[in-house]
Amino acid sequence: MSHHLFLLSPSDTPLYALTHHSSKPKQTVPSPLAANLPAWSTTGFSHRLAALSGASSATQQSTTEPTKVGAGQDRDVIHLIANASLDAVEDGMQKDGAMYMKGVDKFNEWTISAFVTPGNTKLLLLHEAKNDDGIRNFFMDVWELYVKTAANPFHSAYTPIGSPVFDARVRASAKRYL
Amino acid sequence: MASSVKQYKAIGEELWKARSEKINAELFALTYGALVVQLIQDYDQDYDEVNKQLEKMGYNIGTRLIEDFLARSGLGRCADFKEVGEVIAKVGFKTFLNITPGVVHAPPPSPTPNRQSNPTSSQPSFILTLDENPLTEFVELPEEALEGGLWFSNVLSGVIRGALEMVQMQVQAEFISDVLRGDETSEIRVRLVKYLEEEVPVGDD
Repeated sequence: MSHHLFLLSPSDTPLYALTHHSSKPKQTVPSPLAANLPAWSTTGFSHRLAALSGASSATQQSTTEPTKVGAGQDRDVIHLIANASLDAVEDGMQKDGAMYMKGVDKFNEWTISAFVTPGNTKLLLLHEAKNDDGIRNFFMDVWELYVKTAANPFHSAYTPIGSPVFDARVRASAKRYL
Repeated sequence: MASSVKQYKAIGEELWKARSEKINAELFALTYGALVVQLIQDYDQDYDEVNKQLEKMGYNIGTRLIEDFLARSGLGRCADFKEVGEVIAKVGFKTFLNITPGVVHAPPPSPTPNRQSNPTSSQPSFILTLDENPLTEFVELPEEALEGGLWFSNVLSGVIRGALEMVQMQVQAEFISDVLRGDETSEIRVRLVKYLEEEVPVGDD
């Protein structure tokens, strides 16, 4: 089960991205998209379909494809999903004003949860299974780490975060909560 | 010597506690950080110039700070340069920043030609080791600053130089290592250049 975290600046430029493969057991393996469509429609772009739907199930198997999930071709799809969800996130922001928005958008088997900081920095998490508490805790953790990074005088709201310390801490937090 | 070290520690502790106006550490760190970033922008990433300006600012602070310090502590003249180092570390830094840097004195001048980095071995010096630095609470230096040779806390070197000049000692104070730059410790080396003669104020005759 993998998770993809994206940190976006207030102007939606990417600041940080992380792919995390959880060691927790997969809850449900969703059926591949191709199975839901009539055979004739999938022939032409089965490769793309495999990417769109097979992102999760390809994780544990040793695939013939050289690229792993989250790298190479699948990364584009993940980015596409993340960007597409921004509209929903903005709607959520206007509606409620709550920082943590769970399940703000869905795409096939990926659910997107979002967390918007008071400074308008967006944390997006793409995940497959439901894990509200874990995800909320993870978001709070990442937020704290982000605040510490933001306190650096050389950092602005639009500076990409390259610090290895931040990276290590986010990964550790992901391991704990996801 | 050991007893006076303890005395100085105690004096420093007392002075810190007696201070009625303390400032929030985060505010202090953020203010200083903003200052450094602004200087970098103003001088167009010329890090040498920024270092110089920070030192100058520190110098101006130091010349004023020493008055405050002597008034509150009531300490008399230091017997030798070693004592100067002890007082600065245990009382000075403690009073104003609530930290106690370690002091290592350079061994007394000897005739051997091989000295650490001191070209003129007859000048006494000491090294202050800051194991914590309230100025750099949240700071991480970006690439350009690292390459450009920025000493982030260089204001401290200036403060030492300014303060000592007011008590008739001309010193050179500079950072020789900094945790922000990836070194193991942050160290300031203070080297005595000469004792200043009491000068008759201009106009008095």
